[in-house]
Amino acid sequence: MKIRKDLLILSFMAMLLSFFIVKCFDNQRIGYDIGFTTSVQKIQELMSQLKELESVNRQLKDDLNQKEAELHKYEEEATGRIYRGEEIRKQLEQARILAGLTDLEGPGVEVILNDRKKDTILPSEAYSISDFIVHDIDLLEVVNELKAAGAEAIAINGTRILATSRISCGGPTITVGQDQRFTPPFIIHAIGDPDALADYFKQPDSIYHMLTFYGLEFSIKKLDNVKIPRYYGEVNFEYARPVEGGE
Amino acid sequence: MKKSLSAQLSITIVSLILGLALAAQFKNVQRVGGNVSLQRTQELTRQVQKLEQENEALEARIQEYEERVKEFENAIKSEGQSNKLIYEELERTKMLAGLVDLQGPGVVVTVNVKYVNEWGQDAIVQNVRYDDLLKLVNELNAAGAEAIAINDERIIATTEIRNAGDYIVINTNRYSAPFEIKAIGNPDTLEAALKLLGGVADDLGVYLQINIKRVDNIRIPEYRGTFQYKFAKPVQDASAKS
Repeated sequence: MKIRKDLLILSFMAMLLSFFIVKCFDNQRIGYDIGFTTSVQKIQELMSQLKELESVNRQLKDDLNQKEAELHKYEEEATGRIYRGEEIRKQLEQARILAGLTDLEGPGVEVILNDRKKDTILPSEAYSISDFIVHDIDLLEVVNELKAAGAEAIAINGTRILATSRISCGGPTITVGQDQRFTPPFIIHAIGDPDALADYFKQPDSIYHMLTFYGLEFSIKKLDNVKIPRYYGEVNFEYARPVEGGE
Repeated sequence: MKKSLSAQLSITIVSLILGLALAAQFKNVQRVGGNVSLQRTQELTRQVQKLEQENEALEARIQEYEERVKEFENAIKSEGQSNKLIYEELERTKMLAGLVDLQGPGVVVTVNVKYVNEWGQDAIVQNVRYDDLLKLVNELNAAGAEAIAINDERIIATTEIRNAGDYIVINTNRYSAPFEIKAIGNPDTLEAALKLLGGVADDLGVYLQINIKRVDNIRIPEYRGTFQYKFAKPVQDASAKS
């Protein structure tokens, strides 16, 4: 009888052991992306890196503003001495606003676009998952509608939209402007008449109805003051040149 | 006695292995726990990249401004020089804003409705829609177009391309097919981007007639509309910025 008890314990142990072994292998199999996972340490590292970059960023922006003020002073001086100088300075200021080289503020709207929440998708709907995520074309349409509604300046996640800005998708991210990649949620700021901007999405052919039909998050908030940063990137004309003799 | 010893020994070994397995298991659990923050890590990495890029751009801008300030300092001695700097700056900024006629190499894309012969009659398959043009313009921009115009209507930062009945409104002016899109940039890149297998031209070509022609020199007119900034004002207090 004594031997049998030992065997019982042994077999129980072996069972447990095999269970864990199987579990281990199982985990490795299911978690096939385990190689990409990162530790808390990595996150902390990134966070501190981000913090550092942010402070450098702030410093650089301050420096830029300082230099800009200096430059503007010179420009003012120079235009003060020439014929119709004031007019030229105004033209310059206006062209800068139009070219997206100025930080702007004013009343406007904040539009937030996000993928449909995972837990609200029914299993029967899951086959068309592509309907529930924000695509580049959706962003393009929303921006276009804001322009049509009279938006004077637009930014997506803090990146100013210029005439040459593209909005294209690359996998899970959407590239805005030159090389800025973003993941949802997309926060779009626009300066303009808040009522006109917000009401434009009520038009029957607005993309709003299509996106909300599929359950995507699409919120519009009117704001008294929206700040839209300038475009910080480089704009180079490599191929285009002014037409000689033109205005 | 001998039997119980061997049993104890085997139990010890088994529990040792069990302990190992347990440890491995916990380790796995911990790593799987890290899985949840995978997205967070990606997001952080992206933010870091974004800031790195922005900081680089800012440094370039500061350098540019420093150079221009220096130019002014040098020019201050002779009045004519500083005038020249102002005019140069005005021209450059206007170019960026789309207020100057530009010329250069690029592509001309014509978009027209497709007619099919149906019982001896020509029928239109589908009208050109605003989003067809929107996609083409976006694709050209992605391929590095420096200036774009549709039917000589210059695309600027606030240009909309919207449906209004049978027309398409661009810069508040109404147009209908055929459309001619001109873009200045590297002709090879622009053409290749549109003609990509399964790209925009393929997509739209199903129901539209699309023609892409490379040109050595095209002229794109300046923006001729009015612009009024009724709501947007330059941020005055630089330090109040977030």
